[in-house]
Amino acid sequence: MSNAQALPVSDTAAEDARRFQANLELLAEMSRDFAVSRDLDAALLKAVDHITCSVDAEGGALFLLDEAQENLECVACVGATEITGLVIAADKGIVGRVVQNDLGEIVRDVSKDPNFFGGVDEKTGYTTKSILCAPLTVKDERIGAIELINKRGGDGLFDPDDLHFLAALASSAALAILNARQAEALVEQERIKRELELAREIQSSLLPQAGGDTAVIAGVNQPAREVSGDFFDHFPLDDGRVCFCLGDVSGKGMNAALLMAKTASLYRCLGKAVLSPGRLLALVNREICETAARGMFVTMVGGIFDPRTGVVKLANAGHEPPLLLTPEGEFQAFEADGPPLGIIADPPTKDGYPETEIQLNGGSLWIFTDGVTEGYIDGEGTELGDAGVKRILAETGGKPLTERLQAVVGVIKPGEYGMRDDVTLLGVVDDVAARPPAETQGAAAAGSETIMFLRLPARADRLRVIRQAVRSALEYLVCEDEMTEEVILAVDEACQNVVRHAYGGRDDGEIAVELRRDGSDFLVDIQDFAAPVDLDTVKSRDLDDIRPGGLGVHLIREIMDDVQFVTPPAGVGNLLQLRKRLRTKAGAS
Amino acid sequence: MKHEVKEAGASVVVAFEGDIDLQTSPAAREALLEAVGMGKPVVVDLAAVSYIDSSGVASLVEALQTAKKGGQDLTLAAVSDGAMRVLKLARLDAVFTIHDSVDDAV
Repeated sequence: MSNAQALPVSDTAAEDARRFQANLELLAEMSRDFAVSRDLDAALLKAVDHITCSVDAEGGALFLLDEAQENLECVACVGATEITGLVIAADKGIVGRVVQNDLGEIVRDVSKDPNFFGGVDEKTGYTTKSILCAPLTVKDERIGAIELINKRGGDGLFDPDDLHFLAALASSAALAILNARQAEALVEQERIKRELELAREIQSSLLPQAGGDTAVIAGVNQPAREVSGDFFDHFPLDDGRVCFCLGDVSGKGMNAALLMAKTASLYRCLGKAVLSPGRLLALVNREICETAARGMFVTMVGGIFDPRTGVVKLANAGHEPPLLLTPEGEFQAFEADGPPLGIIADPPTKDGYPETEIQLNGGSLWIFTDGVTEGYIDGEGTELGDAGVKRILAETGGKPLTERLQAVVGVIKPGEYGMRDDVTLLGVVDDVAARPPAETQGAAAAGSETIMFLRLPARADRLRVIRQAVRSALEYLVCEDEMTEEVILAVDEACQNVVRHAYGGRDDGEIAVELRRDGSDFLVDIQDFAAPVDLDTVKSRDLDDIRPGGLGVHLIREIMDDVQFVTPPAGVGNLLQLRKRLRTKAGAS
Repeated sequence: MKHEVKEAGASVVVAFEGDIDLQTSPAAREALLEAVGMGKPVVVDLAAVSYIDSSGVASLVEALQTAKKGGQDLTLAAVSDGAMRVLKLARLDAVFTIHDSVDDAV
């Protein structure tokens, strides 16, 4: 004990035994009190009481250093005067000096000590004669000090033996306080752990339910820690297609999990209205750029799969290349052609992220995070790798999709050792034999069928004629009412652009409109015979901008599934092609 | 397209009927701006509008902006299903104050 050398050692064995006993009792009592009540202050009060009685003093007070080690606060006090809550600077008073020097003191006559703080006596009318003070220290960690006032009986003064005993009790108390604090920290850790478990449950409930053996699209997600920064989703669209995505948020832990939840929600919500993966990713990107924390980003693949045709439309924002496995066992990778989401607010092109169209032709498409390829498959740090993933996919061909997904993630060693990152994998399978009947396929193969062809002056007063024609054509196709009205608006807007801009104010120009059925799609060809337009000047409208400019183009894109300029057959003018999958009235054949 | 302007209480009501398209929207625009120029709250009655395109919607937006600059209200009333569909597609249904009927609006 650092302050022992200044004191004469007690030579009576009986006194030693009494003190040893008192010390043990203090430790046991403090630990038990704390364990029962979880209330450190209450346990400290009992300890001060125990120590004050053991040393036979009139009063006692226990001071603890605050976290900054700048102030001492009285947290427990018994006897003579009540000073609980009193805060003093850590280097003031006798208690401050004891803490700073880490050395116990006996001040036999306080009136002669320049550091004595007489303020409390003045208020209470109590007279402090003698003070005994010992630091609370465990190894090098200063916790505070305990101060005793006035020895009971006799002259009221403490002697060196008392200090020796107090020092021993103080070091036991310090140990008990430190233990209690560590236990408190442990309780806090437990609480955080429980919350993380809850977060994990909520997060996994965001993932879609696994389908049965016949599912054509399914995914699997195994978080490396409690929560995951990876996600996947798939949901049916009104027109029979399936929208899907898979993403990986930079970083791990709660930040990543929250951004994951946000990105997945945005995708699902927008995905039901915006039927283009490229534009969808651009919208999600803009939203994340506006609100996400700096330095965080998301790599993501978004797509739409048509189970009736086996066609996948795909857009890739900086993610690992999806793999196409053909029925012949060949693999083809599709590299990303846009940056991750959350980095640059402006999309790579005016139509958003570039889209790739893939005909699965009876094959399958696989999208995964690097946690799959970088997972360890043995105890020696061998990664599964691209080759490993391909091998398992090739070997499991013909088995149900969910089984194939499990086969891949199953080879990665579980736990933090093998799963070095979250492991997420999504598969899309085109089972040609099981394709839902598409009444339209014969027609599509045979080419489109013209319903109506109009060639008329490109003038504002003829737009009504065009609207009537589109209405008649859609009635003929038994198109559902809501969609009829929308398509009429889109065609009108597209024709307006020709009337307004194609002929530069001349009113002798012409417009040709052809309305066709192409399988289950409604096709509109709008042709003018003027100089070709500069595609870059045809801009879609920024949704945040309520100025009317560009509103027409926005409406066309919003309503139609596909809008593009194609080369006109005669090689003159401009040909704009609008396409929309038909929704027929209920009960129509 | 036809339109009618009348005063109701403290407001000016502009009622449109028929199609507001590229051909007729200049007249609609003129009627709206004239009504805003009267300095009173403007209610646009769209009950009998069978069709409205982006140029018609643009006229409404321009009238709203002009009214707001002068500290006036411009609200829509009894919006037909067809007009509402277009306002929603243009994401402008939240930009305008829309009343169920002209009586509610004046």
